[in-house]
Amino acid sequence: MNLRKSKSIIGWVFILIATIFITLFYFYPMIQAFILSFKSGMGANLQFIGLDNYIRLFNDPVALIAIRNTFIYLIFQVPIMILLAMFFSVLLNNPKLKFKGFFRTAIFLPSVISLVAYSVIFKYLFSTDGLVNQFLLNLSFISEPIEWLMDPFWAKVLIIIAITWRWTGYNMIFYLAGLQNVDNSVYEAAKIDGANPIQQFFYITVPMLKPIILFTGITSTIGTLQLFDEPMNITKGGPGNETLTISQYIYNLSFEYTPDFGYAAAVSFIIVVLTVIFAVIQFRLGGERK
Amino acid sequence: MKKWKILFAAVLLTMVLSACSGGSADGASDDGGDPDAITAWAWDPLFNIAALELAEEQYVQEAGDFQLDIIDNAQKDIVQKLNTGLSSGTMNGMPNIVLIEDYRAQSFLQAYPDAFYDMSEHVNIDDFAEYKKAPTSFDGKQYGIPFDTGVTGLYLRTDYLEEAGYTPEDLTNITWDEYIEIGKDITEKTGKKMISLNPNDPDHLRHMIQTAGTWFTDEDGETVNMAGNEAVGEALRVFKTMLDEDIAHTNSDWSSRIAAFNSGDIVSVATGNWMTPSVKAEESQSGNWTVVPIPRLSVDGAVNASNVGGSSFYVLNIPGKEQAAEFLASTFGSDTALYQDLVTEIGAIGTYLPALEGEAFNQEDEFFAGQNINADFVKWMMEIPNVNYGMHTYASTDILIGELQNYRSGKALEEVLEDAQKQAEAQLN
Amino acid sequence: MNKLKSIFTYGILSIAAIVSLFPFAWMLISMTNKSSDISQGRLLPGSNLLENLRNLFESYNVGSALFNSFFIAIVATVLCLVVSSLAGYGFEIYRSKGKDIVFNILLLSMMIPFAALMVPLFRLFGDVSQVFPAFGIDTLYAVILPYVSTAFFIFFFRQNTKMFTKDLIEAGRIDGLSEIGIFFRIYMPSMKNTFAAAGIISFMNNWNNFLWPLVILQSPDVQTIPLLISNLGSGYSPDFGIIYTAIVIGTIPTALIFFFLQKYFVEGMTGSVKG
Repeated sequence: MNLRKSKSIIGWVFILIATIFITLFYFYPMIQAFILSFKSGMGANLQFIGLDNYIRLFNDPVALIAIRNTFIYLIFQVPIMILLAMFFSVLLNNPKLKFKGFFRTAIFLPSVISLVAYSVIFKYLFSTDGLVNQFLLNLSFISEPIEWLMDPFWAKVLIIIAITWRWTGYNMIFYLAGLQNVDNSVYEAAKIDGANPIQQFFYITVPMLKPIILFTGITSTIGTLQLFDEPMNITKGGPGNETLTISQYIYNLSFEYTPDFGYAAAVSFIIVVLTVIFAVIQFRLGGERK
Repeated sequence: MKKWKILFAAVLLTMVLSACSGGSADGASDDGGDPDAITAWAWDPLFNIAALELAEEQYVQEAGDFQLDIIDNAQKDIVQKLNTGLSSGTMNGMPNIVLIEDYRAQSFLQAYPDAFYDMSEHVNIDDFAEYKKAPTSFDGKQYGIPFDTGVTGLYLRTDYLEEAGYTPEDLTNITWDEYIEIGKDITEKTGKKMISLNPNDPDHLRHMIQTAGTWFTDEDGETVNMAGNEAVGEALRVFKTMLDEDIAHTNSDWSSRIAAFNSGDIVSVATGNWMTPSVKAEESQSGNWTVVPIPRLSVDGAVNASNVGGSSFYVLNIPGKEQAAEFLASTFGSDTALYQDLVTEIGAIGTYLPALEGEAFNQEDEFFAGQNINADFVKWMMEIPNVNYGMHTYASTDILIGELQNYRSGKALEEVLEDAQKQAEAQLN
Repeated sequence: MNKLKSIFTYGILSIAAIVSLFPFAWMLISMTNKSSDISQGRLLPGSNLLENLRNLFESYNVGSALFNSFFIAIVATVLCLVVSSLAGYGFEIYRSKGKDIVFNILLLSMMIPFAALMVPLFRLFGDVSQVFPAFGIDTLYAVILPYVSTAFFIFFFRQNTKMFTKDLIEAGRIDGLSEIGIFFRIYMPSMKNTFAAAGIISFMNNWNNFLWPLVILQSPDVQTIPLLISNLGSGYSPDFGIIYTAIVIGTIPTALIFFFLQKYFVEGMTGSVKG
């Protein structure tokens, strides 16, 4: 009993530093942002206005478009990316594979690239007379060039392609690290029992990697709900507001337009609420013990 | 695991050591203790930063002991740093002098009225071009010292015009509708597009609308004026027509916009005079360019002169403000010789009226086939209609760009403007 | 059958590698070209590399920016690995109801966009400046401090600890190791792969971090590489040759870190303790 108690105290010591830092540098500003969300005004002249910012939010067509767009990205992009990342990590975990280091590095590198270079290159590749269109035209996949940056539908596709390109290798790293903790003997046993690679994947790899799948699922969801870099730098939210995200709208309200930090804070808490909902769903699906 | 501990200890040690040694140096610059070191934020090393350096050089000759630390930041970065710093209430780390684009000036001045230093006693705004007054002053006080003009021109490829049987005179003092008609003909005859447009970039809408002397908001700078605003409607129509009639090449960002004319793919560029260095960057096209007045909207009272961009200097209300104000007043506020050097050495045209003649404005430019472009720009600058850009230029143009998308997919213009008006009123309170 | 499988594997991986590497090839090619050639999309190497390098190093303080970026990335990564792994381990191994609640609350901290925290955080560092100017606005520590402990890495370490063989802890206790001793002598060495992954990601995030350094750093001598690259594009007629040269230089360190740390992804299983 005593030992248990002392262990519990040691446990608190382990988490102490981390908790202090997060409280100071995240929760303290977060509480201030929350208070701010009940105020309104330009720049430094703020008045308390109660719930008006939140009411305004539900009548703001641009905010609603941004929320819609963000959901579209979330629904399509997160599953595609996570499956791809898992797929590559399993391929790369094959002990007999040659040039492993090269393939691993190549697939990871997109997440290292500077945002400036990445956005310029994507805009260039996907311009109307760009290489991607030329390639598709030559292969007769399409009969006329796709207006990637000007068409509401294709602009969203472009954003999804861009995020997937950039972040698949990043998520792959977590799986690769996780796969090292899976005992190879399990696979050997499965092979003897006649399980094919697909069965091995679904009956061994996926269950073993569950904690990591949950981790990448939640962090990618958070990343997508806060998506900013790609629409800001590749499409500028356009055409019109068709690729605008919630985070980008927050940025516009704070820095692009006459600053209204109170309203921007209110929009931010929409992201918090949405993220909490999705995280709870994923923890439930992930079968976390109570 | 030993290695980890050693590494960790080493990192901690470096932190503590450099924190101690760095402390004194940082402390001094933080509270602005050194009265002679004035800091300034600006964004283009070849343009406004070079201008500040030139001004510093001249000022030191007169006033002696003076030091200006100029810090290069991208324009959008300055906006963000300034907003974060000023709204947090800590003036810590803020510069003494900052360059702000005229479109954004009112939103800074009104959002942070105490943060800026009143320059009324240091500068006489009537010495500057009329249209610079509204953006740089607020509540009867003069805050900004104008730096450059954003006077627009229509840059033309004379060789392509000739090929299609036109002369620059045919495109001088015309309306945008005439421009489109001529453009269709030229595009057909030469196979070159007439203009390069970015449907997400509001620059063209802004300078078109200013030719008619109106803006997205009324003269008070706040009342939204889009529904039934003839100039705004006309600008949208012209913009859409250029895209629909296939005379426009489309670009998606700054570099592809520049590439469009550097590569020789387009016939004309309608923009501010600050584009001149980028046009001249492609030396092989020397002698094939000329500049004529910007086309006007087909609206009563519209003129063939407009403005896009342009910026002014502001002094922040922190220690060192007197020196900073004094420096700006004796240089950009009154030094006619400086303005000559700005033109000859940097290619920057100011708006300080007493300095708009002289040698610098009498030089023929080989690149523009001997045209004296500076004198021409000054001439057009005098005709720029006076407009109050107000508080919401960026928010308004974003709304319009959004509505332009609907307009292009078939929504009626009247409805487009009304919806834009509604959206703006909801968003801008 | 097996041959088919390996053709498939190599085929897929090669396509993925080409798609991933193409923009890098473009970056390297652009580094050797003149600005006007780059903006017109030239795909062949040019002869302007030395000139671009000279222009970049002569006009900008690249050395100091590299030093600052390295300092921030290394200090932040080492501190973050230690603090977050301790916490992740603590939450999972000494699991209790109270700690689970604390953990869930900590997770909340990564659910708000950073843009919303920036102004209050700036104000906080403004206050810090009054008391400890060495950790206040315009110092490298102000960039590092918010990233010493993040919910992301605590979460990551906790999830990986779930896959850690708990028997090893009991074995350690029987050997008479203290609880903290078990963490450093058993957990850390056997989780090399996890630390390597976290190290790569943390280094990369801190190296590429833009928004926070942008607002908190003011003077040129504390400038980082991403800020320098942002400034290069600030002018009305930017020199793309210089920009791409800087981008390549700024990309190399993270790529190298990845290259050196990735070997732990194969060594995990053969690690001394678990084998």
